[in-house]
Amino acid sequence: MTEKQTLDPVTFEVLKNALTTVVDEMAEQILRTCHSFVIWARDFSNAICDAEGNTVMQGTQDIAVHVGTLHFTAKAVIEAFEGDIHPGDVFAINDPYVGGTHFNDVRIIRPVFVGDELIAFAQSAGHWADVGGTVPGSFDISAKAHFGEGLRIPAIRIWDRGHYRQDVVNLLTSNTRAPGDVEGDLLAQAEATKVAEREILRLVEKYGKGTLLTAFAEVQDYVERLTRRRVSELPDGTWETEDYIDGDPSAEEGLIPIKVKMTIREDQILYDLSGSHPVIGTFLNAGMGTGFSGIVAGTKTFFPEVPLNSGFYRVIDANLPENTVVNAPWPTAVTGFCSGAYEKIMNALFELWSRVMPERALACCFNLEYLLIGGRDRRTEDAPFFMWYDWMVGGWGGRNGKDGSNATSPVFGVGLAVQPFEGQERLSPVVTSAHHIVADSGGPGRFRGGCGVEKGGTLTQLDDTVMSYCCDRARSITWGIEGGLPSIPHGVWLNKERPQGQFLGAVFSNVEVGEGDEFTRPSAGGGGYGDPLLRDPEAVREDVADGYVTVEGARRDYGVVVREVDAELAEWEVDEGATRKERAEIREKRLSWLEEDPEALAARYRGGEVGTSELIRRHGVILDWGTGELLPKTTEGFRAMLQRRTVPHWQNGSPRG
Amino acid sequence: MAVDIGGTFTDVCVFDDGSGTTRVGKVSSTEDPIDAVFDGIRAVGVEMGEIGLFSHGTTVATNALITRSFPRAAMITTKGFRDVIEIRRGTKQDLWDAYKDVAPPYIRRRDRFEVSERVDYSGRELEPVDEEELRRVAHLIRRRGIETVAVCLVNSHANPGHEERVKEILGEELPGVSVSTSSEVLPEIFEHERFSTTVANAVLSPLVGGYARRLAERMKEGGYRGDVLLLHSGGGVMTTEAVERLGGRLASSGLAAGAIACGHIARLAGYENAVGFDMGGTSADISVMVDGETRVTNDWYVEYGYPIRFPSVEVLTIGAGGGSIAWIDAAGSLRNGPQSAGSNPGPACYGLGGEEPTNTDANLVLGRLGAELIGGAMTLDREKAEGAIGKVGGPLGLDTVEAARAVVQVANANSADAIRLALIRRGHDPRDFALVAFGGAGPLHGAELARELSIPTVLVPLNPGITSALGCLLVDVRHDFSEMRLVPADETEPPEIEARFQALEGEARERLRAEGIGEEDVRLVRSVDMRYLGQWRSLEIPVEGEVASLDALTARFHEEHERQHTYKREGQPVEIYGLRVAAIGTIPKPELPYEEPQEHEPEPENYREVVFGDGEALRTAVYRRDGLRPGARIDGPAIVEQLDSTVVVPPGDGAEVDGYSNILVHVGGAK
Repeated sequence: MTEKQTLDPVTFEVLKNALTTVVDEMAEQILRTCHSFVIWARDFSNAICDAEGNTVMQGTQDIAVHVGTLHFTAKAVIEAFEGDIHPGDVFAINDPYVGGTHFNDVRIIRPVFVGDELIAFAQSAGHWADVGGTVPGSFDISAKAHFGEGLRIPAIRIWDRGHYRQDVVNLLTSNTRAPGDVEGDLLAQAEATKVAEREILRLVEKYGKGTLLTAFAEVQDYVERLTRRRVSELPDGTWETEDYIDGDPSAEEGLIPIKVKMTIREDQILYDLSGSHPVIGTFLNAGMGTGFSGIVAGTKTFFPEVPLNSGFYRVIDANLPENTVVNAPWPTAVTGFCSGAYEKIMNALFELWSRVMPERALACCFNLEYLLIGGRDRRTEDAPFFMWYDWMVGGWGGRNGKDGSNATSPVFGVGLAVQPFEGQERLSPVVTSAHHIVADSGGPGRFRGGCGVEKGGTLTQLDDTVMSYCCDRARSITWGIEGGLPSIPHGVWLNKERPQGQFLGAVFSNVEVGEGDEFTRPSAGGGGYGDPLLRDPEAVREDVADGYVTVEGARRDYGVVVREVDAELAEWEVDEGATRKERAEIREKRLSWLEEDPEALAARYRGGEVGTSELIRRHGVILDWGTGELLPKTTEGFRAMLQRRTVPHWQNGSPRG
Repeated sequence: MAVDIGGTFTDVCVFDDGSGTTRVGKVSSTEDPIDAVFDGIRAVGVEMGEIGLFSHGTTVATNALITRSFPRAAMITTKGFRDVIEIRRGTKQDLWDAYKDVAPPYIRRRDRFEVSERVDYSGRELEPVDEEELRRVAHLIRRRGIETVAVCLVNSHANPGHEERVKEILGEELPGVSVSTSSEVLPEIFEHERFSTTVANAVLSPLVGGYARRLAERMKEGGYRGDVLLLHSGGGVMTTEAVERLGGRLASSGLAAGAIACGHIARLAGYENAVGFDMGGTSADISVMVDGETRVTNDWYVEYGYPIRFPSVEVLTIGAGGGSIAWIDAAGSLRNGPQSAGSNPGPACYGLGGEEPTNTDANLVLGRLGAELIGGAMTLDREKAEGAIGKVGGPLGLDTVEAARAVVQVANANSADAIRLALIRRGHDPRDFALVAFGGAGPLHGAELARELSIPTVLVPLNPGITSALGCLLVDVRHDFSEMRLVPADETEPPEIEARFQALEGEARERLRAEGIGEEDVRLVRSVDMRYLGQWRSLEIPVEGEVASLDALTARFHEEHERQHTYKREGQPVEIYGLRVAAIGTIPKPELPYEEPQEHEPEPENYREVVFGDGEALRTAVYRRDGLRPGARIDGPAIVEQLDSTVVVPPGDGAEVDGYSNILVHVGGAK
């Protein structure tokens, strides 16, 4: 980094903003022409990389999960085609083992030349709806290795000096379930890179090549300088925490730890993830690129005003030990990283940074849940293949002085929009039964977590249909900080209201389903911030009036006794005397509740005497939510987590609040 | 007469039919906005009885949404879906700031009710309306004293029957309560967008309907005998009766007027493609006219997350105004806006206690603004401006003049980026456009901005500060009708599409007839939304005359796709997404006065030192706008001062006054 920029302040500011405009124009181009509903819902990124592949600028509305990876794929193309990159070439790559995210995220990369000098790469990454493999949507939870998950695309050339290599593109598209849409997306992305090329060349013409190349470097230096200045104002120190994946389906039950140690030393941030669990037998592992991306995205959440480019990455040192869930090598399956290791890194960072910057504290947030139903749509005679791939919003963590936000996109992609179900109903034989907020789903706290939602449906005329689910946190439930409590568990229910109802859990694939089947699943709320017994009873009353919290939940989670004045008018009141008594009783008993015999509690759950929230929030007990069978090791881990994270912040002796 | 109510000022514009002259006035806005209307009428000295037509643009609806000051409303929806408008699409505007939230919905959760009923995607009934349940809900609404209801049922765009039944029952149970049904308000697929538009309509209709009614009554009492017309977001006007049912259409009324006026003035001056740049104290509004039509969008909101999918004149607002503050960020880089000193304390040079350096301060330091605003309304304090500018100059090692120049350059570059994005993302080339610079500060920056964008001509209207009010006088009655019609283009026949267009047109004629528009003044404009099968966004393709061939439409679609998105896929099947009919009822419009230009070189009022571009201060001629006649030619560098604005003509540029008294700046060296 140069300490002082050489461009004059006006030229620098003008070019910095112009480069932002270029990547945002790329996004516009993609949005208006894409075919994949996943891309349309904003699962894409665009970047300008310099001639070495470093990211100079990326889109202001880009999905978080791609940050910190775009330079890896640009560098991978450079490495693969060194000395053989020409004007008119366009490349494609999706390889997660060289820094890509997962197979669905295909990056289209166009070198930009001035004369015969390569000056930049324009990159457009988008999530294709299907890239083949054994499961519709290319999300196979049972995969241990990537073979059969979907198409792995190393750096390849799809335009050769301006000539479209239809044969190569056919090889890609004919390995997917939606060849027409896939080619449409490829063209949309390639055009976006062309928009960038045109604009970069306009800037070259106006300002000169030398000035623009200097700006490429100085924009990165600027971000580095900005970040370093901010970091150096923070206290030096080391902070540690851990978060968990639910388990390894191929091994014994028990939480899978991801450990994060963060050190701030002057103006540098060091992350050490050693001690994290070895790779597990499901696709929830993160590759090297996405492990790093989780760190970048988690850090960036606390520096919202800093633009993202390679200058930001220079401030970060990350130790991601190989062969662990945060750095899985080829050929380990990593397609579900986003529900797995990735968000655990992000949420762990939220907790660590909450200690460094208490004014921006954030408890654990909902992340991705992704339900895929694919089969034959029998509503028309030709019974075409349908894809009902769905994701929901959930609650974000409670904050310092502010409840978490309800029903918000997952942290890995805040710009990821949920799909309109009226559109889904037209395209597939699934009738949505509900899409609403779940009462009591926000983790209780002085400032509660945001509420999650529930969405379900009934399958109508269809054949040969299977359902898969990429999720997590049925056991490692979104947690609170500063004494706040957890939210509710994830997991899909099939025919919940019928005698043969089944809890399918948070990860499964290729479950056969048929006409008339009903399914539903909740999304997690955010974890709570602060001791729920300190929550303003009036805030609880307001939540009851709006149905975010039930009368029972108010008593159980907050010790607030709310009585009806006139429910028809949505009028409720707090019984102050009863509330004082209730809160005192909870204070007295809550430590011992966490010691109660889990086996006995599980039996009471099976007998219908205690509910899920009570088990999790009061007792820290985790079950198989379908059978009611106790998960002893998981419960032990979960209780230890509460003892470490939550209990020390409770004041149980003094009758405050 | 047209009245445009803004946050700070209410502008009045009177066009005299007999003499062909325009009179303008500006008064302070009042707590009850209607008072300002009458203040304004008094200020221009017109008798109510003399007014032939009264047209009105207002920010009442926009402000009501932003401040949530509208009547308590209820929503009735299908069982299981009362949170659709709270879940929205889930996204946040500010991706990375976990402490910045999307605003809450316009109707609280406690007032959102569910009723058992369901139709499927094709409109087939799956479950009838549970009428007993509905009557119980009506009872709750009555007890809560709620007087406006949004009825938003799933798939009602495919079959409005259930919503109609609900409305009927509410009519029985809740007489006098305003009911907006989603199938009537916006019969389009996608639940959140339809519900959200309907909710906006439900909260606004009683409010702006009541406002319009009161205004009409007071106008009548005052002796006015014509219709009171209100400008809606789509750039047309509607009668007070229509406003009571479709109040949501006024959500961006205030913004539309400026864009309409800009388009009209540019067209008269001979420019079919124009960018409007309306720069005021805190922000700049950018609008675009292509081929003589001001661009309209359905993708619009007042607050992020709550789309209002009525057609709305597309206006992009950016945080670049005269009061925008220049600052140095933590990495030592010079920034400009979006924070603004507003009108209080305002720029440092106002001497009202402002200390931060603003664009206005920079323009004063550079001599582009005079120390005394014309008419003596205000004196600007140059010393204070220099002091403020020094706050950014010091850390950057720039002297005051260099720093002021840098501030203005960054402001212009930011505005240029926004305009470039607005044009290029639709495939338009800035070189084909004229820049219409208005608002108090627009003409100060117009020429340099145009140079940055390679735009060859800048047009400054006669009254840049009150251009918006004029816009209200230049529009027709307009309503938009649409129908979802999702069908692959090769699976339907022209007669079928033609029949659907005719049905929409029947509805359109009926609406205009009800508003008293004569058959001879009705104009209907058809268009069809198309896309490649599998795509998510569609393009609006104009349809001229009867639909005779779908191949012709498909060919136009390919062409338009290539123009806007730089590629087409001729082998790919094309899908029709929806049909649209704009119903236009022509009303009389003023003819702006025209005087044949007589080429001449006017005498400057005086001279002063002004700094341009990267150069040193130049001795610069200063003219008064009211002394310039059509045909006047001025060579840059020059400054033209007028009551409501200051026009900068940089060196190398030439300016002329056209027959409509616009100043046209011909930008030299645009590249």
